[in-house]
Amino acid sequence: MEYIRLQEKLPPKEYRSDIEPTWCPGCGDFGVVTALTKAFSEEKLDPTAITMTSGIGCSSRLPLWMNAFGVHTAHGRALPAAVGIRLAKPETPTIVTAGDGDIFSIGMEHFPHTARKNFDITLVVMDNRMYALTKNQTSPTSRHGYKGSLNPYGNIEDPFNVIKFAIASGATFVAQSYSGNPKHLAETIQAAVEHKGFAFVNVLSPCPTFNKIDTFKYYKGRLIDINKELGHDPSDMKAALELASHVLDADNPELEDAEPFKGKRPIGIFYKVEKETFEERVAKLKEKFAPPSGEPDWDEILAKYRP
Amino acid sequence: MAFDLTVKYAGEGGEGVISAGDFTMRAASNLGYEVVTFKSFPAEIKGGYALSQVRMSDEKILSQGDGFDILVAFNGEAYEVNKPLLGKGKVLIWDGPEGGDFEPDLEELEKMGVFVYAVPMSKLAKEEVGAYITKNVIAMASVFELFGFPMEVLKQEIVKKFSKKGEDVVNLNFKAIEVAQNYIKEHIKKIDPYRVPGPLPKKDVIILEGNEAIALGAAVAGVKVFAAYPITPATTVGNYLSPIILKTGGFVYQSEDEISSMAVVIGASFAGAKAMTATSGPGISLMQELIGLASMTELPAVIVDVQRAGPSTGMPTKHEQADLFAAALGGHGDDQRVVIAPKNVEENFYLTIEAFNLAEKYQLPVIMLTDGSLSLRAEAIPTPDIKKIKENLIERPVIRKGEVKPEEIENLFRYAVTETGISPVFVPGESPKPYTATGLEHAENSRPRTTPDERVKMMNKRFKKIANIEEENPHLVEWDLGDLQEGDKADIAVVSWGLSASITQEAVKRLREKGYKIAALYPKLLYPVPKNALEKLSSMADKILVPEASYLGHFARFIKMFTNIPQEKIVQFNIYRGEPFIPKEIEEKILELLGEKVSA
Ligand SMILES: Cc1ncc(C[n+]2csc(CCOP(=O)(O)OP(=O)(O)O)c2C)c(N)n1
Ligand code: SF4
Repeated sequence: MEYIRLQEKLPPKEYRSDIEPTWCPGCGDFGVVTALTKAFSEEKLDPTAITMTSGIGCSSRLPLWMNAFGVHTAHGRALPAAVGIRLAKPETPTIVTAGDGDIFSIGMEHFPHTARKNFDITLVVMDNRMYALTKNQTSPTSRHGYKGSLNPYGNIEDPFNVIKFAIASGATFVAQSYSGNPKHLAETIQAAVEHKGFAFVNVLSPCPTFNKIDTFKYYKGRLIDINKELGHDPSDMKAALELASHVLDADNPELEDAEPFKGKRPIGIFYKVEKETFEERVAKLKEKFAPPSGEPDWDEILAKYRP
Repeated sequence: MAFDLTVKYAGEGGEGVISAGDFTMRAASNLGYEVVTFKSFPAEIKGGYALSQVRMSDEKILSQGDGFDILVAFNGEAYEVNKPLLGKGKVLIWDGPEGGDFEPDLEELEKMGVFVYAVPMSKLAKEEVGAYITKNVIAMASVFELFGFPMEVLKQEIVKKFSKKGEDVVNLNFKAIEVAQNYIKEHIKKIDPYRVPGPLPKKDVIILEGNEAIALGAAVAGVKVFAAYPITPATTVGNYLSPIILKTGGFVYQSEDEISSMAVVIGASFAGAKAMTATSGPGISLMQELIGLASMTELPAVIVDVQRAGPSTGMPTKHEQADLFAAALGGHGDDQRVVIAPKNVEENFYLTIEAFNLAEKYQLPVIMLTDGSLSLRAEAIPTPDIKKIKENLIERPVIRKGEVKPEEIENLFRYAVTETGISPVFVPGESPKPYTATGLEHAENSRPRTTPDERVKMMNKRFKKIANIEEENPHLVEWDLGDLQEGDKADIAVVSWGLSASITQEAVKRLREKGYKIAALYPKLLYPVPKNALEKLSSMADKILVPEASYLGHFARFIKMFTNIPQEKIVQFNIYRGEPFIPKEIEEKILELLGEKVSA
């Protein structure tokens, strides 16, 4: 179904609400707000028709800063709430913004299902590789050795490769970007919003307050654009999976010179494919079964129950 | 005397016991009789003890009754389980004298005054029809032949049910009927007094099972998104709804778990759709956090909880009324929700519609508690007037683009404090002004706010919505005073909810026929507790009996907690064996409380 759009472009700032973000100065998530407003502007989306959902966390407050409809749901439940919106009002573009803890820990059971069903949802995860709002615990994407409040001796787990997981789950658009690269971030998010189907953008988004390892300073010079620099073709799933399996290489100093990323963090579109969305399939069913008037023949329905 | 006959088929799950009951029920209804069924089966797919009971009458039937008049025992276990219930004047049809797996003590039964017929169902099915699966048709046809149900009606039902499977299947069943008929004619001499008096004038009715009634009610109410995760005994609500909802432009969505079902409901409701989920005990436990979110964000949501015996997995196919605490108080914090409960199939239908109306009107989650036995109970109910129902549906006060002047929009707030506490609704794609619904405490304009003043203001606003819910919806408390006037003195008062209420109704009727004065109240609104009605009832009697199918007696405790009725007036009567009450035990309990001797 076509989204409700405006005739004319609105300036990006029109997509900001007048609520001041409660984020710390320097928080990477600011970049995501800017990129979203740019993407909405470029896509000529109507603020009174955009729907956003989020869970709980620093990052999940994002919809509150936007001039758009939003549901700030319970921890981890942003995706199914978005599914509800998609089923009820597919003409309103739906964007989910959340943290790595929110989506990949408590809300994990929802990710692969929403992805494989190919709901037309754009999921932007602000991946600061830890839990910030609860004041520094390890998240599923935290580095091995990361010291959180519950494990001051350092994380004994290995991080979760969310890019590989997203591709394997059946997401039809999988990308990674970085909140310190506004241009790349805005372009990637816009491509994700434009994509019909489940689009996942993992945004490397530093938390300067707690995470002293995955910082802006750390990322500087440590990014590699897989599409521009490595010539990766996102329609090639095999190549995408191969690349994705190296996403966390840079965590390991021993892989500093290893191919394909040479110790760098990859950004770019890993995978993109066109596939019928869940909403399109539902629409087909409705077209087949629902009467054009919208009101069914109740006598006929009741007749089925007569003795 | 009214004609009132109960046939019970009992045997092993998977042997067609349940469908034998269904066919008999349909045939009786076809003849114009009132019907109420009672079914019970194990959680396993095959095997285990199953029963299907059909009560029919030419008068309105209130409950499943005390037991049976005619028992068809498919196997030895069924015979053993029901043996204590056999007595003078009852009929036993058993699978013999050859081919079955048991032999009843015929001498003893004769002494007891039981009418016994041996019909070798297994043997006839195997040897004469050539298909063991027709055993239940043989059983049914025997019942039809012996008690005077027109066989034509059974044949019609067979055609209705099996014609899709092909002529061979229909013919096989017809042959089974013929074999049974011939056997009865040749070998059995009727000695019992039971006979169906013949067809009655046709009534304008539809037959619904409990969960079917919920599904139909939801469709009529205009549900657009139904999200659920399978769980016994709630699953069939979705099964029944999916073919209808597509015709109404809605969709049944199977989600990955109950948490997501509830989140889907919230998302859909936020987007303006009437949304619903159906689950059972374990599922409602998982949904609690999000029910609180619906409450805080003031989004209408309908949650049906078909209760089963818990805690934990408990007895998933068995009856209990023990989710009231969870439904009403299960969340964290002080949230606003409404809990209602239907007492029979007809109310399952109308109360589901009411659940949507309440949710839309008060903008909050409404939980409807039914139970396993009601979900399976079939009844013939007067055909509903859909047009009239549709005219009376309550819709959300959505503010639409163009409906308000641009200069007014700025001061229009999603959570505006109003006289009633009910605020205007903004919906994406329809309303001129976006907002973010948040579970955080918020101001009228929906922004997060935690100042003491703001908190108090918003808590008051949300609780104000339901402060007068009882007065605003008097129809949600059903009075049953018999010949008494409000304020008269009764021998005893009774309060009962859910399926237990329909059984209590019958017990009360019988006692009134014996001359007792009983004041009864059947609340459909359970929470917020209908304090005024309960206190009014309390003024009419010294004792209030509250029969509930749970160990703790949730509603009785709510009465103690939320009303000014003296604690000692409340008499709890609790059963927790996994079955509903029978009217007789409530009748006897009341007699006992009144100091009457109960004959054994
Ligand atoms: C059911 C539940 N459990 C725990 C919490 C506490 N909690 C709030 S935010 C959060 C983690 C957020 O981490 P992440 O999603 O990575 O977001 P960030 O704050 O890092 O942006 C937790 C555990 C909660 N709100 N609800
Ligand atoms: S704690 Fe970290 S993630 Fe949270 S707002 Fe501050 S910088 Fe951002």
